[in-house]
Amino acid sequence: MKKNAVHGIVKTFMLLVMILGLAACGTAAQPEPPAQPVDATVTQAQEQEPPAGGERVNITYAMWGDASEVEQVRQVIQQFESEQDWISVEVINIDRGDFEATLNTMAIAGNLPDTAIMAEPMVLNWAERGMLLPAGDMFAGFPEEPLEKLGFRWDGETVGYSVANELLLNFFNRDMFEAADVDVPPANVADAWSWDEFIDTARTMTLDTNGNNAHSPNFDPSNIVQYGVMFDPAIWMLEVWALANGGGWYDPADPFNVIIDQPAAVESLQMIADLHLVHNVSPQFGTNIAATIETYLLENAAMYINGQWSVGVWLGPAQFSDGLNYGVGVLPSMQRNITMATGGVNVAFSTSQHQEAAREWLAWYAQVENSWAMIESGIWMPIFPIWYHDEAYMRRWAENPNFPPFEEYRSAVINYALTNAVPTSWYWVNNTELFNDVLSTALAPVWSGHSTAEEAINGAIGALRAANRGN
Amino acid sequence: MNQKSAFTTLRLIIITILAALVLFPIWWIIRSSLMTGPEVGTMALFPSRWLFSNYAEAMVHFDYFLYLRNTLIIAVPAVIFGTSTAVMSGYAFARLRFRGKKFLFGLCIASMLLPPMVTLIPLYIVWTQYFGLINTFWPLILPWMCGGGAFNIFLIRQFILTIPKELDEAAMIDGAGRIRILVQIIVPSIKPAIMVVAIFIFLTVWNDILHQTVYLLDDNLATMALGLRIFRGSYGTVWQLAMAATVLSIIPGILVYIFGQKYLIEGVVMSGMKN
Amino acid sequence: MQPSPTKHHPGKAEKQEARTAKLLLIPAFMGLIFLTYLPLIAVFGISLFQWRVPGTPSFAGFDNYRFLFTEDFFFWTSIRVTLLYGFLSVAAGLVYSMIIALLLNRPIPGRAAFRTIFYMPFIIPAVATFLSWSLLYDGGGIINNIVVMFGGQRTHFLSNEQTIIPALAMVAVWTSGNLIVIKMAGLGNVPRTYLEAAEIDGANAWQRFWKITLPCMTPIIFYNMLMSLVTNMQIFVPSLLMAAGGGAGAGTVPESYLFMTFTMYRTGFINGLIGRASAISFIFFILVGIFTAILFITSKSWLFYEGGDPK
Repeated sequence: MKKNAVHGIVKTFMLLVMILGLAACGTAAQPEPPAQPVDATVTQAQEQEPPAGGERVNITYAMWGDASEVEQVRQVIQQFESEQDWISVEVINIDRGDFEATLNTMAIAGNLPDTAIMAEPMVLNWAERGMLLPAGDMFAGFPEEPLEKLGFRWDGETVGYSVANELLLNFFNRDMFEAADVDVPPANVADAWSWDEFIDTARTMTLDTNGNNAHSPNFDPSNIVQYGVMFDPAIWMLEVWALANGGGWYDPADPFNVIIDQPAAVESLQMIADLHLVHNVSPQFGTNIAATIETYLLENAAMYINGQWSVGVWLGPAQFSDGLNYGVGVLPSMQRNITMATGGVNVAFSTSQHQEAAREWLAWYAQVENSWAMIESGIWMPIFPIWYHDEAYMRRWAENPNFPPFEEYRSAVINYALTNAVPTSWYWVNNTELFNDVLSTALAPVWSGHSTAEEAINGAIGALRAANRGN
Repeated sequence: MNQKSAFTTLRLIIITILAALVLFPIWWIIRSSLMTGPEVGTMALFPSRWLFSNYAEAMVHFDYFLYLRNTLIIAVPAVIFGTSTAVMSGYAFARLRFRGKKFLFGLCIASMLLPPMVTLIPLYIVWTQYFGLINTFWPLILPWMCGGGAFNIFLIRQFILTIPKELDEAAMIDGAGRIRILVQIIVPSIKPAIMVVAIFIFLTVWNDILHQTVYLLDDNLATMALGLRIFRGSYGTVWQLAMAATVLSIIPGILVYIFGQKYLIEGVVMSGMKN
Repeated sequence: MQPSPTKHHPGKAEKQEARTAKLLLIPAFMGLIFLTYLPLIAVFGISLFQWRVPGTPSFAGFDNYRFLFTEDFFFWTSIRVTLLYGFLSVAAGLVYSMIIALLLNRPIPGRAAFRTIFYMPFIIPAVATFLSWSLLYDGGGIINNIVVMFGGQRTHFLSNEQTIIPALAMVAVWTSGNLIVIKMAGLGNVPRTYLEAAEIDGANAWQRFWKITLPCMTPIIFYNMLMSLVTNMQIFVPSLLMAAGGGAGAGTVPESYLFMTFTMYRTGFINGLIGRASAISFIFFILVGIFTAILFITSKSWLFYEGGDPK
């Protein structure tokens, strides 16, 4: 009798284990590569013969993005798979907020995908540890190399190129400016506003519940309904102001020399904080939620400083769905006029079992025609110089309803990219995410006015230097 | 008598106010889930129109049934394994004599004070690197096969201790072995405690966002807690939809609660009475 | 009583029992070794290495600890906020549950229903709780509207450094229904004879509470304090949700959210510094151990066991 009881228990356990095994394993299994339509026509610049034996290979590509972005990538993959018959690509969609954590945990688990789009701050760190396949020769068969500033460099080598050339820009709501009869932000960098002009316009465009703007003596700062300008709450974007003010966060000659404590950088941070604290033209930095720029431009902000991807992800569509009439201008100047360029990087991991397939996929994807949906919608800016010099190419790119009027875009974005854009520091400085974590916490009291930028930076400079060294 | 009933009335009033305050946030969630966006921010206690459509809309982004399925895939085995091993262990500690019992029991109790976050990293490395179980439910289920947590072992033990030994002894005279006693005599007598442990394990699993975040990477493995996270963060909070999803996520817990309420409170009492 | 066959071999019965016990305890034993104590040692071990994923570990001795205590920008803040929140939420929860338990300690109509109501927040999962309270605490939310109605200033309770921890503690109190139920049981066990004798001797309600009820409740209070402190110090959900949306370095996490579980998670899983994260975990363990020890040691002076000396 005792045996029966024990047997019974054991049998139940086994049954459960089996059921669970099926359930749990089923969801994590890799699907079989779909049957490929054999297509003989291949027109790409770079194309390789499948390895001897013609073995089919399934590689994975990890990315972040909302449902529509993922769908666009899937369509791109379909195209890729139809143009060759030995590689199929499976998309792994990871939440942007979890992206770093997920890749790290995959690394520990030994479970990295073959390829991924990688967030910029991670690239050099992973290159340092030899996790990335070298990318310098990826464009060997191409008519031209990408814009040089889009290359990530480590130890004398180029380890990857951005998939897009995203600039920081000054977006604005044209209707609000018209209603106030104020000149919109200039699209031509030659006419760029000085910082004082910028503040002045912002004050005119900041309104309280009674309709008074910030110049008016009756202005009520505790009841603002429309701000002159808002900033995306991303800390890394603040570096552009240090550069514009004649300084920077890192010494261009030495990526391990942190110079954020020098007056130019410190002052730039204070100037941003003062937009809220002194001039009342902006909400406290960091208090608006990231990535709802179209809502803000529609309702509470006349200007919004954010990256070019806003065109494709939010602003273009909002024209049609919400009647948003938006425009784009160059950034205001401080000591000089600078904007930063950045863009995620498609990488292949050195742990991949299918390195050749991985690189071929990435090289194919890097061709502009193949990520056309991203370009055309305004999510990505192309990375090859010809698109910035040749008028026909420019029009093909940006003359469509998603974008602001072509002349405005050409001047404020395309030309601007050639003349005033520098790469964000993570192209050549390592450990920027550790640095930004510290900086973000250090600056918190500055935005609320509890501390000056100088005090905050001086208090944190030791930790900032340590972070830069990888601590 | 009059003074007493006056005091009682006062108590009643105060406790009713407090109860209303405690219930208020729950009502607020429900009420907000049925309103339009702008209406949520008003002081209105009741929605003007009861927009059950919000739930449908929320489920477009919030794949409720997927999350439910995934959470249950973890919770059901966890409850089954955890409860059975807790009963096994609690019985052994309560009824059986063996060398090293005090020591082992001491180790068991001491482990209650070890917060799960402390051992997260090494366990993570083991589960993923050595066993390759990244992105599966196993690391979340298998630990429950080991007694279901010291707390639950303890609970069962306490409960068994209240059962008179005479029952055991009578059965032993009839030739029954220890395990048979466990299955045929003890288990039926401690049903309330078993229910409590089952419910505690269920609630713990339901709530365990730390481990779920770490082990479940793929979107289609997301649990309720992970699914709710999309409502907070980059895309701003569309409150009425977030609240609709919240209500949906609470429902299973409420069902378990209503069903097991009696047992739950008894068991909590039992656990608090330890000394 | 007839001697059963086994009684002829006294050693055999005991061995049988011990074998059964060991069989039954295999799962728990495995768990204790492999899921609890070995990992604890492993955490300490890993903390002695400099290990940044996706790289390889290298031995560093106590360097991680040295860095945390001297150079790390977040460490002392995380200790401060973790302890502050822990103490505040436990103290407030204790008072709240005591008051409610006392109020419910009489036969009033609907007592069981009240108990159910107060217990309910406990079963709501933490993410749902935080989302809901985010709405309540929102800049345009009901709490602010009420505050403004009474002439106060609109506050972003969950973003303003001064208010974050109290606001979160309030949520913890709301959730602490389980403590109420435990206390109610404890109150039920206070010997009526003492209370009646005291009443006869002329003691009023407050004196009865302070001198009899409370001392009898000390074991329960002790247990509650211990368990809720350990639980509350591990707070994680608010930090995780506040940091959501944009990935590392994209947004600002206010200082008051830098609880130790979160800094461990961020250091280890987002930034990849596993060695340092293990050090944080181990320090957390020591911290919990210290408070547990303090509670146990001081309990001798205020814990009252029935059958011992009534004070």
